[in-house]
Amino acid sequence: MIENGRISVLQMAILVYPTIIATAILLLPAITGDQAKQDMWLSPIWASAAGFLAVFLAIRLNNRFPDMTIIQYSEVIVGKFLGKAIGLLFILFLAHNCGVTLREYGEFVKGNFLEDTPLAVIIGSMIFICALAVRGGIEVMARSAQVFVPVVTVLFIVVLLLLIPDITPGNVQPVFKDGIMPSLKGATVAAGWFLEFFVIAFMLPFLRNRKKSAKWSIITVVAVIITMVVTNLVTLFIFGALTPTFTYPVMEAARYISIAEFIQHMESVVMAIWVGGIFIKISVLLYITVLSTAQWVRLSDYRPIVFPYAFIIGVLGHWSAENVQELEKFLKETFPIYALLFLALLPTMLLVTAAARGLRSQNTDNRTSSDASAGKDRSK
Amino acid sequence: MRRLMVMKKWLITPVAILLMLLLAGCWDRTEINDLAIIVGLGLHETEDEEVQLSVQIVNPSSMASGQSGNSGQQGTGQLTTMEKEVGKTTFDARSKLQEKVSRELFSGHNRVVFISEKLAEKGIRDHIDFLARYTRPRLRSYVYVTKGVPADFFKVMPDLESSSAETARELADLRIGMSVEVKELLQMTADASENAALPIITIEGEPPHSYGLRVQGAAVFKHGKMVGQLDDSATRGVMWIRDEIEEATIMVQPEGETGYISFLVLDATTKLVPEIKGDNWTMTVQINAIDDAVENHTTLDLMKPDTIKRLEKQLEEKVEQRIHIALEQVQKDMKADILGFGESFDSKYPDKWEAVKDNWDEKFSEVTVNIESDVEIKRPGRSTSPPALPEDEVTNE
Amino acid sequence: MKNGQKGRLPLKRRRLKQQKAKQADKTAKLEPSVDSKAPLSDSLRANENTFRSIYDNSSDVIFRPFYIGEQVKALLIYIEGLSNIEEIDDSVLSPLIKSKADGDTTVDTLINKKVAVSDVKKVTTFSDSVKEIASGSPVIIVDQQTSGFALGLSKWENRSVEEPQAEMVVRGPREGFVETIGVNTSLIRRRIRSPKLKMKAMEAGEYTKTAIKIAYIDGVADQSVIKEAASRINRIDVDGILDSGVLEEYIEDHPQSPFPQVLSTERPDIVSANLLEGRVAILVDGSPFVLIVPATFYSLLQSSEDYYGRFLIGTSIRWLRYFFLLISLFLPSLYVALLTYHQEMVPTTLLFSIAASRAQVPFPALIEALMMEITFEALREAGLRLPKQVGSAVSIVGALVIGEAAVSAGIVSAPMVIVVALTGVASFTIPRYSASAAVRMLRFPMIFLAGTLGLLGIMLGIIGIIVHMATIRSFGEPYLSPMAPMKWRGMKDVLIRAPWWKLNTRPRFTGETNDYRQADNQKPSPIRGKD
Repeated sequence: MIENGRISVLQMAILVYPTIIATAILLLPAITGDQAKQDMWLSPIWASAAGFLAVFLAIRLNNRFPDMTIIQYSEVIVGKFLGKAIGLLFILFLAHNCGVTLREYGEFVKGNFLEDTPLAVIIGSMIFICALAVRGGIEVMARSAQVFVPVVTVLFIVVLLLLIPDITPGNVQPVFKDGIMPSLKGATVAAGWFLEFFVIAFMLPFLRNRKKSAKWSIITVVAVIITMVVTNLVTLFIFGALTPTFTYPVMEAARYISIAEFIQHMESVVMAIWVGGIFIKISVLLYITVLSTAQWVRLSDYRPIVFPYAFIIGVLGHWSAENVQELEKFLKETFPIYALLFLALLPTMLLVTAAARGLRSQNTDNRTSSDASAGKDRSK
Repeated sequence: MRRLMVMKKWLITPVAILLMLLLAGCWDRTEINDLAIIVGLGLHETEDEEVQLSVQIVNPSSMASGQSGNSGQQGTGQLTTMEKEVGKTTFDARSKLQEKVSRELFSGHNRVVFISEKLAEKGIRDHIDFLARYTRPRLRSYVYVTKGVPADFFKVMPDLESSSAETARELADLRIGMSVEVKELLQMTADASENAALPIITIEGEPPHSYGLRVQGAAVFKHGKMVGQLDDSATRGVMWIRDEIEEATIMVQPEGETGYISFLVLDATTKLVPEIKGDNWTMTVQINAIDDAVENHTTLDLMKPDTIKRLEKQLEEKVEQRIHIALEQVQKDMKADILGFGESFDSKYPDKWEAVKDNWDEKFSEVTVNIESDVEIKRPGRSTSPPALPEDEVTNE
Repeated sequence: MKNGQKGRLPLKRRRLKQQKAKQADKTAKLEPSVDSKAPLSDSLRANENTFRSIYDNSSDVIFRPFYIGEQVKALLIYIEGLSNIEEIDDSVLSPLIKSKADGDTTVDTLINKKVAVSDVKKVTTFSDSVKEIASGSPVIIVDQQTSGFALGLSKWENRSVEEPQAEMVVRGPREGFVETIGVNTSLIRRRIRSPKLKMKAMEAGEYTKTAIKIAYIDGVADQSVIKEAASRINRIDVDGILDSGVLEEYIEDHPQSPFPQVLSTERPDIVSANLLEGRVAILVDGSPFVLIVPATFYSLLQSSEDYYGRFLIGTSIRWLRYFFLLISLFLPSLYVALLTYHQEMVPTTLLFSIAASRAQVPFPALIEALMMEITFEALREAGLRLPKQVGSAVSIVGALVIGEAAVSAGIVSAPMVIVVALTGVASFTIPRYSASAAVRMLRFPMIFLAGTLGLLGIMLGIIGIIVHMATIRSFGEPYLSPMAPMKWRGMKDVLIRAPWWKLNTRPRFTGETNDYRQADNQKPSPIRGKD
């Protein structure tokens, strides 16, 4: 197989969690707050349905084709020509998504920390490091994530705790002032993030033990919901109606921390959290893109194309938007539909077709393992 | 040969990265020596309707020598300098200011924002946008309305603190008067009721011999414009309603006594309970305070529960009286809701609030306010009976 | 490693090739063409000639001809200073010379009946003899015999067992390894007496013939690690291995990495503890440093004293060490980043005093930091290399004179001196010298990154280091284990130093066959019911 590394379910969870949350914690409060106002903390809960859907699709498809990624089984399901076409679309989507994420990171750093530094340098240094991790393979990424995620989570909790003296829980009222609609509208944007859970489809084939994959995926979704709700609540508690007016509310909140005149300006910590998380996110997206491409053109190894690909994605990120406003508009308006199309409709279509035609993996070895795991699932 | 190639690759990568980083330069680097650290920002409007921006800049070398006392650089003397410039907008003024300050203006350590009364009356909305948008200033800077031109305030050399901005910040930190941060100001103006109150600051003594600042009352803003000001006691009343009292002293003269007893408020909480019955909007202000006696000029024995009961009653009246003063001015005269009534109606009766929202100023003045205060005296201070009195002179009832 | 085997020219063939080339221009001297693999002949004269030509120009090799029982000619060969001469005289030469004239003089009889030495080995070839002679065992060859015998009477001057200087402890054993491998194995064997402790003997070095021993506990250590270690040592084909440090470079997984992937220690108690945990030790003759594989990053941050003291204190000291590891790696770069990029994050009053002290400094903070760090490293190096008496003088001159004078002259700022000093102290809290050297080296790229991209640069640097550490493995064990991949079993000895009675299982990797190292429920409890 093209990837020799194997990861555990825990490692998969630890890779996926920052992939979803890294960009969400900074952008989501403002974007959902714009629509949902003081009900913004409810939006992630509604949106999580998308996350469960994505997980369901990925796991069901994987049960049918245990050792394949979507690029490979789409060829099996809808035939070679159409399969290749779907694969190509998917690769383009992934590459674009990766580029946009890179750009989000670049804009954040440039807007908040390094105003005069060229975007190319900020983006270039990040994608370079991500490419190093991707070259190491999924195992290296998983191990790096295992170092970062606990540290970053602890830092995030510390920031939240330091904000406690400044919160006004009253800001959350009135709940459902205009009914359920505003929070649902806010949820559409959040759903885009949750749909990214479909990335597990690219990790499931490399699991050492697939038995607990469903359980851990659901745990991850729940963890993401909790994180988003807490983030939205805290920013709401602090800024109230002001939340949507900031580009990065969490950042502003951290900037606002001041305890005993010494612990202040924790935005550096937020940057550390963000950069650590976004590193995992970009690495995962880059890895998926590179792996898909390698599978699409049937390379025996994906490592040689990592650096060239990283360069292309860096350029893509640099060109993906004219300015922050355009980027935000894309994230708010286009991305949910975009993600829905590729991460929900397309897989649903594939799953339905596969089920209708009764397709399963061709390889006999794999079939037995898939049957075994499917059987176990059923017996539970 | 192949091994050589591998070696080369390993050498080239780090060297290339290093060179890239070094040659490309350090775009955002600013040495600390090249910064003009601003501690105070002042906004004022000149006669020809332009914005005058004044800043207080720290002179670090003299500040440090002032602290440590040795080192031979004491010649520079002045701890801070003041610079001012006018412009069409705040940022325009800032740009012009940069033209004459040799170091890069750096407002990341800004402590206070002074807004002159004149500018405040014209409206502050346009100017505070700058504070929210421009990345550097901190949201935690305190905002004051000044009686007079902010630039004069920055010229004041206080006795205790290193700069007048620092004095203003320390005053705000003490929470004796009202203290409002930039973030809170932004929140107040973003709020539905769109009213705000800012503390007023004045200079003690005449400018050449001035030695300090003083917080005196508060300015009331309606729709971003200053509409009036409250005196000290009314401000305290407002703070009681807004649950901002952290430390307060209340003096009472017990019946039949010539002296006063002073109480220190240790813990005060205020709850606003809105109620709408038909067309009748009422707001119940529930105050709960715990006091300690700190000074006793009377002959009363504070260890007697009966005495304490009576004193508590008197204290409650005193508090209510303060609140009434505040309500009189804020609710009846200025019709500006700086008390948070609107918000509390909004969260309990969102529908009815929606209906009067646009007409809130009028409705606000019609709200009936009930005050329920409960003051408890927990401890008599460190001595029980008046220590300076002979035993037999203590009133025994 | 993989492509190392293929297409590699063995050292001997390579040398031969070069010799041929030199032969062509007739200037090079030829190596003596003695076939040392040949067996001994039955002529003493022929044998003697061969030995003499092998030891051509070797004045320290002593040839002592004598007669056994005044009749049979024999020859004693030994190297001066490597053998116990008194013993040879008393137990070998005198009984042989004084023996009866008509006795049986076959080698076996001599060994069994005449020589009063416990360790005697028969040798039949020249190469065996040479090996024995070189390791200090005198060899006796007898006329008319096609074999000789080597006497295990080697004795040379060696350092006595002392307290290791580089790894001091307050509590714990004070023995340290010495340069003699036999002493070192005995130090381990004295701690682990079970016959399960195995010592696999190997050799490396074309000229040095260095003895190497792989020590492990059978049934506890992972067989694949032992095999891997043996095969890596077998692969080595060089002139000589002079220290375990040289061997380390030949057998580690990622030689380009700044991080040591092999744990080296002078302390037999550390080796024993690691053997008990299932690791493998490699002893090299001539080096007091024993290598332990596989090593993880966390094992480099552990001191043996963590385990000898109270566990609460051990845990807090361990945390202190982690914290100072971070200080040592990031403090200078953090200082540079905060001062040149993120001034708003420095507490206001602190910023004022730093600004004041920097007012006269002519250098940018980045240059100042680099300059001071390099100076500090130079002082440290100088203090290390100089004789002890001078060393303390250098540190006084360095610390007091240079630091104080530079600050008062306004060339560097006082906060920078504090930062550098703190960083220096922090780097000494790392118990393994090789690990602290890695951290010290990484500090410089970090300062550069901080100087170009501020905190973002530092963050990217951290990511780079973590990715690198996640990539490397030591003998199959991921370097960051047990944190990544997460193994809870191992975490109790990383995050905290769990009390001994809680450390029921071996830390990680191996032990699928032998997980448990102690019985359950050994927590001591006070006697109750007494007053």
